[in-house]
Amino acid sequence: MTVLAEGSYASPTGQEIVFVLLGVVTLAAAVLVVTTRRLVHAALWLVVAFGALAGCYLVMSAELVAWVQVLIYVGAVVVLLLFGIMLTRAPIGPSTDLDGANRPAAVVVAVALAGVLVTVIVDGFRTAYVPSARASSGAGSAETIGAALFRDWVLPFEALSVLLLAALIGAIVLSRREIGPAETDARRGGGEGEG
Amino acid sequence: MSLLASAVLAAPAPTPDIPAPTIEYGLLSPMLLVFGIAVVGVLVEAFVPRAHRAAVQMPITLLGLAGAFILTIVVATQDITPASGQGWGKLAAMGSIGIDRPTLFIQGTILILALVSTFMIAERRTDEGSFTAQAAATPGSAAEREGLLAGATHTEVYPLVMFAVGGMLLFPASGDLITMFVALEVLSLPLYLLCGLARRRRLLSQEAAVKYFLLGAFSSGFFLFGAALLYGYAGSVQLGAIARAVRLGPGGQYATEVYGASGQFAQVTVGSNALLMLGVALLAVGLLFKLGAVPFQSWKPDVYQGAPTPITALMASCTLVAAFGALFRVFYVAFDGLTWEWRPMMWLIAILTMVVGAVVAVTQTDVKRLLAYSSIAHAGFILTGMIAADAAGLSSALFYLAAYGFTTIGAFAIVTLVRDAGGEAGHLSRWAGLGKRSPVIAGAFAFFLLAFAGIPLTSGFIGKFAVFQAAIAGGATPLVVVGVLSSAVAAFFYVRIIVLMFFSDPAPDGPAVVVPSVFTSAAVALGVAATLVLGVLPQSVLDLADQAASSLFVR
Repeated sequence: MTVLAEGSYASPTGQEIVFVLLGVVTLAAAVLVVTTRRLVHAALWLVVAFGALAGCYLVMSAELVAWVQVLIYVGAVVVLLLFGIMLTRAPIGPSTDLDGANRPAAVVVAVALAGVLVTVIVDGFRTAYVPSARASSGAGSAETIGAALFRDWVLPFEALSVLLLAALIGAIVLSRREIGPAETDARRGGGEGEG
Repeated sequence: MSLLASAVLAAPAPTPDIPAPTIEYGLLSPMLLVFGIAVVGVLVEAFVPRAHRAAVQMPITLLGLAGAFILTIVVATQDITPASGQGWGKLAAMGSIGIDRPTLFIQGTILILALVSTFMIAERRTDEGSFTAQAAATPGSAAEREGLLAGATHTEVYPLVMFAVGGMLLFPASGDLITMFVALEVLSLPLYLLCGLARRRRLLSQEAAVKYFLLGAFSSGFFLFGAALLYGYAGSVQLGAIARAVRLGPGGQYATEVYGASGQFAQVTVGSNALLMLGVALLAVGLLFKLGAVPFQSWKPDVYQGAPTPITALMASCTLVAAFGALFRVFYVAFDGLTWEWRPMMWLIAILTMVVGAVVAVTQTDVKRLLAYSSIAHAGFILTGMIAADAAGLSSALFYLAAYGFTTIGAFAIVTLVRDAGGEAGHLSRWAGLGKRSPVIAGAFAFFLLAFAGIPLTSGFIGKFAVFQAAIAGGATPLVVVGVLSSAVAAFFYVRIIVLMFFSDPAPDGPAVVVPSVFTSAAVALGVAATLVLGVLPQSVLDLADQAASSLFVR
C-alpha cells in the first residue's frame, strides 16, 4: 500500500470537508455568543455552537460523545441557561453593560492562548494522517466507550457521581429558604452585611 | 404460560461479557469511608429534625475522619509490593489510584488536619458558630434576621467538608490525569460553596466564593488543556505511561502502542517537544493555582479573608497538602525524565512566591489577609524543597506540610476568638494590647507567628531547615539565599505583630476574647503542642517522612 492511496490533507474527502465546515460554524457561533448584546441570543448561539460541535464528533465517528453532547449540552445545559435568564428577570432586549473594562485584555489572552494551542497542535500532528474510514472502526461506539468506562475508568466515573451529589447539596444550601418570609424585600437587599 | 415465560427469559441475546474491573477496596478504604460518611451526612440532613442535626453530624464526621486515619495506618502497615518488584505500593482500581508511602503520609496528614479543622467548624460558642443561618437570604434582609433569631445554622457544612476531604484524599493519589481532574473538582466545588457561608460580612463572603469559583474554573480549564496536550504527546493519560513516552521521545509512544497494530503508520512521527512542554506548563498552571503560587496567587487573600474562618483553616492546611501532593506526584512520576526542563520554571516560581508572599504581607492590615500572604510565602518555601527533585526534597516537604498545617490551623482558631461587635476583629490595629488582656491567647498566637517566622524550637525552624538543606544538596543554593532573605522579611512583620500585642496599650473599646468551648481550645492546644513537639523533638516525624519518601511514588 503506497502512501498516496492512504490519502492526505491535499485531497480531502467529503467527510473532511464537512468536518471543516462544521468547525467554522462552531467557531463563528462561539464568537457570536460572546459578542452579542442580547443574553437570550447568546444562549441560542450557544445551541448552534454545541450542535455543530456534536456534528464534528459525529463526523469523527464518535457517536456516543456526539449524542451525549446533544442531550446534555444542547438539551440540558442551554435549557438551564434559558431558565436562569428567565427567572432572574434579565433584560430581554439588548444590554449595553455586558462588556467589562477588561475586554481588551481578555481578547488578547484568549487570542494568544488559542494561537499557541493551534500552533503547537498543528506542529505536533502535521505529519499524522488517519483516514476517516480507519477511524470509524467502532472506536467511538457506545459499546467500546461503555466497556472502557465500566472497566478502566470506573473509579473516576464513580467519583463524578460524588461530585454531582456534592453539587446538588450545594445548590440546595445556596437556594433553599427554610425560615422567614418569602423574599419580599429582595429588591431592598444588598445592604452591607458588616453590622 | 410457561412457554411464554421461558421465551421471555430466553429472549435477551447473550451480551458480550465485560470483565469486571478489579478494585482493591482495602487500599481505597480511607477514601471510601470519608465519602460514605459524607453520604450518611446527606441522609442525616434529610431525616433528622433541624434541632438535632448538628449534634448528630458533628460526632459522625469526627468519627469518620478518625476512622479513615486509622484505616490509613492499617494500609500503611501492610506489605505491598508493586509490579516492578521494588519499593512499596501499588496501582489500584485499574490504575486510577496509586497507593504508596508518600501518598499515605499525605492522606494521613490531610485526615488529621481535617479533624482539627472540624473542631473549629463544630464550635458554637463564638457567635453561634461561624456559618450563616440561611445562605439563600439576601444579606441584610428580614429573612436573614429571622434566620439568625431562630438560631439556625447550615449543618450541610459537615457533609460538604467530607466531600471536599474525600476529593483531597483522591487528588494526590490519582494515577492518571482524568482521575486527578475529577478529584480536583470534587475537592474544589464544596470549597467554593463553603466559602460563601460566613455568618458575618456576608457580602465579602459571597464575593470570595464567586471569585474562587470563577478563577478556579479558569484554572481547571488550563489543567484540562494541559492534560489534552499530554495525551496528544503520550497517547495516554496514565502518569506512568507519560513518563515512558517522555523517555522514548516524540512519537515513540505512538509508533509502538497506538499505530503499531496495523503496522502501516509505524514510521509516522507524531508529537513534538513543543506539545510536551506546553502540556507540562498548562498542567502546572492548574496545579500551582491551587497552591496559590505566584503568579496565580491573586485569589488567596480575598478568599481567605471572605471565607468562614474554619473553612479558611481547612483550605490553608488540607488543600495545600493535597495540592502539593498532586504536584509532587505529577512532577516526580510523569515528568521524571524532564527535570532539567521544568526546574528553571520552578526556580522562577519559587523565588517569586517567596518574595511576593513575604514583601506584600508587610503591607497588610487585616489578620486573615496577612495569614493568606504568609501561606503564599510558605508555599514558596515548600516549592524550594521540591526543586531538589529527589527523596530528600520530598521528605522535607512532607514534614514541612504537616508542621505548617498544625500551626496555621491554630493561628486561624485564635482569629475566631478575638471578636468585637461586628464579629471577628480582623483589623490588626484592634489586636493592640491583646497580650495585656488575655496573655494566654496572645501568647499562643505569638508562638504560632514565631513558628511561621522559623525561630528555633518551633516546627517552622525544623521545616525550613529541612527544605533548605534538601535544596542545597540538590544544587539550588541561590534559591536558598532568596529563601532565607524572604524569611527575614517575613520575620519582621511577624515580630511587629507580637510587639503590637504585647507592648502597646489596649484600646478601651478593644475586642473581647471569647472563652471557647472544648473544640476550639483543642484546635489551639493541638496546634501549640504540634508546633512545640515538632520543633523540639522532630526526629520521629522526620524519620517517618524519610521512610515515606524513600520509596517515592509508585508508577
